[in-house]
Amino acid sequence: MGAASSIELRSVSKEYHRDAFTIPVLVDLDLSVAEGEFLALMGPSGSGKTTLLNLIAGLDRATHGEVIVHDQDLGLLSEAQITRWRADNVGFIFQTYNLIPVLTAAENVELPLLLTSLSRKRRRQNVATALRIVGLEGREHHYPRQLSGGQEQRVAIARAIVTDPYLLVADEPTGDLDRTTAGEILDLLQLLNREFEKTIVMVTHDPLAALRASRTLHLDKGRLVNDVIQEARVPAAS
Amino acid sequence: MKYLHYILRNVRRNPVRTALTVASTGICLFLMMILVSFFAMSDEVNTGSRVHNRLATLNANGFAGVIPIARVKEVAALDGVEAVTPFSWYGGKYKDEVMPFAMFCVDPDAVFRVLEELTIPKDQLNAFRKNRDGCVIGRKLAKERRLQVGDPMPLKGDTYPVDLNLTIRGIYDGPSDRDLRMCFLRYDTFDEAFRRVAASSGRDVSQFAGNAGMIFTKCKNASAMPAVSRAIDDLYRNSDYPTRTQTEEAFGKMFEEMMGDLRGMIRLIGLAVVFSLLCVAGNAMAMAMRERTTEVAVLKAIGFDRGRILFLVLAESMLVAGSGGALGALGSKALFAWVDISPYTAGFLPFYYIPWSVALQGLGISLFIGFASGVGPAVRAAGLPVVDGLRRVV
Ligand SMILES: Nc1ncnc2c1ncn2[C@@H]1O[C@H](COP(=O)(O)OP(=O)(O)OP(=O)(O)O)[C@@H](O)[C@H]1O
Ligand SMILES: [Mg+2]
Repeated sequence: MGAASSIELRSVSKEYHRDAFTIPVLVDLDLSVAEGEFLALMGPSGSGKTTLLNLIAGLDRATHGEVIVHDQDLGLLSEAQITRWRADNVGFIFQTYNLIPVLTAAENVELPLLLTSLSRKRRRQNVATALRIVGLEGREHHYPRQLSGGQEQRVAIARAIVTDPYLLVADEPTGDLDRTTAGEILDLLQLLNREFEKTIVMVTHDPLAALRASRTLHLDKGRLVNDVIQEARVPAAS
Repeated sequence: MKYLHYILRNVRRNPVRTALTVASTGICLFLMMILVSFFAMSDEVNTGSRVHNRLATLNANGFAGVIPIARVKEVAALDGVEAVTPFSWYGGKYKDEVMPFAMFCVDPDAVFRVLEELTIPKDQLNAFRKNRDGCVIGRKLAKERRLQVGDPMPLKGDTYPVDLNLTIRGIYDGPSDRDLRMCFLRYDTFDEAFRRVAASSGRDVSQFAGNAGMIFTKCKNASAMPAVSRAIDDLYRNSDYPTRTQTEEAFGKMFEEMMGDLRGMIRLIGLAVVFSLLCVAGNAMAMAMRERTTEVAVLKAIGFDRGRILFLVLAESMLVAGSGGALGALGSKALFAWVDISPYTAGFLPFYYIPWSVALQGLGISLFIGFASGVGPAVRAAGLPVVDGLRRVV
């Protein structure tokens, strides 16, 4: 490892309250992710993977403990500040792609850029670059319903990287895809990690997907059970 | 406006729902405009009549009372008076039509000096003054009935048993907010015929003979009006027929008051319409936003803050309601500017238009409806916790 720490979680707990009950979802969790790392999170359903990812991405707040990402203690930020922080630092990739159905591929990718002060021309250029990286040139004007699942996920990835964020979070990005298409998406994530030096945290149920990561963590009932470092054993492009 | 594109796409997302919302807003506002304009228009016309410095003199007991015709000359002699004409309602039929158009018995020498905004060619006016069987009709009336100068104008008395066989001697014109469908006949002709009929019937109707009905006085200038008005009423205070003189504007308002509190009722109807539109638009917007819960959560995850979400939703609902308003309010304005409905109102509305003030108000109301109906869904969307919104996918 040795690299500067990109994500630091210190005794982080997350509880949900329902009526009089307290449901502990994450329990006293410590985690450190290095800059440029590609981390896979695995674990049974309900173990708290999405919850953990949401804390790291600044979508949700820890009940106890500190979440520090890229030297920023997220607990100190106001609602408005953390929203701005997400826009600047995090790209999101979801299992169900979550594209806006009434916008074309290019318009979907442009959405995060609308929050910046970039000119229309610059926005177009950046969108074109992002679409080229994910291999979707020529599909700019297609609507999500006109694209395959794999292509939709590529658009979503382009949307996640178009602002050149520091961190990418992906919640089961291949969960809805067949094995071949999933492999292509994982190739792309590896490319982003290696060539573009993005720190990536990915939740997955698929052990083969996890093998693409540089490290896999297992979560069970809100606790990390082991911490395995692995150098990518599976070559890119299988 | 880099968001406009996205807002427009959202508006078109469910075209049927949007069309229905736009249509219901548009139709309701269209009808509202018609109701409200009736009063706004008569206000405008009443206020607009100020510039003509005219006074209307009635019997103190109102329309049923008598004003002796000799008073026209007496009023004309008062200081500050420019011209005076009797203005007596001849309720009659043209051929066999019921309520065809308004007919007034006037003084041919004075009527177009009193009603200065109406114009008539000089030779036609002279013909009207020279021929006792003459009458003058408005341009729109002439056009609709295909009547020309020289055509016969047979009138059958309803209010009085006096039939008249007149000849059209002239056609007057005037601004679009004046009644261009009146028929002016000569008071002397009418009175003479009335006396003849009365004599042959053997009944004593002398108290109805020589009744001017109303006196219309044009003053030399606005500052003379109060004095002239007072002078007229003072002159006849102790006579058998005391008078009540008021400005043309007040006279017009009196007509309106005769309709009771219609204004208040229309206002209530308007409120009810606005309320029901709020429900319609609010429901449509709430449905639209419920369907988009995940999308809103995604936008927020990407970095759209509360303000932007609020703005996007409000802009959308205001755009939808505003389109309805534009269609209804501006559409009704355009329609009535284009189509003249008065021939279909049996003379009840000599002209009809939607004043700008009313049309713009309608547009404003529709924007308010858009805003008010969007606030709820917008605040809900803006306040939605991202994590909850994202979880609904699964
Ligand atoms: N808003 C909430 N209120 C109460 N409990 C919640 C809430 N959100 C999540 N939980 C609970 O937290 C636990 C962890 O949820 P989480 O979504 O993180 O699991 P996961 O590991 O991502 O599961 P999966 O693999 O099925 O996606 C679950 O038991 C879930 O029921
Ligand atoms: Mg999950």
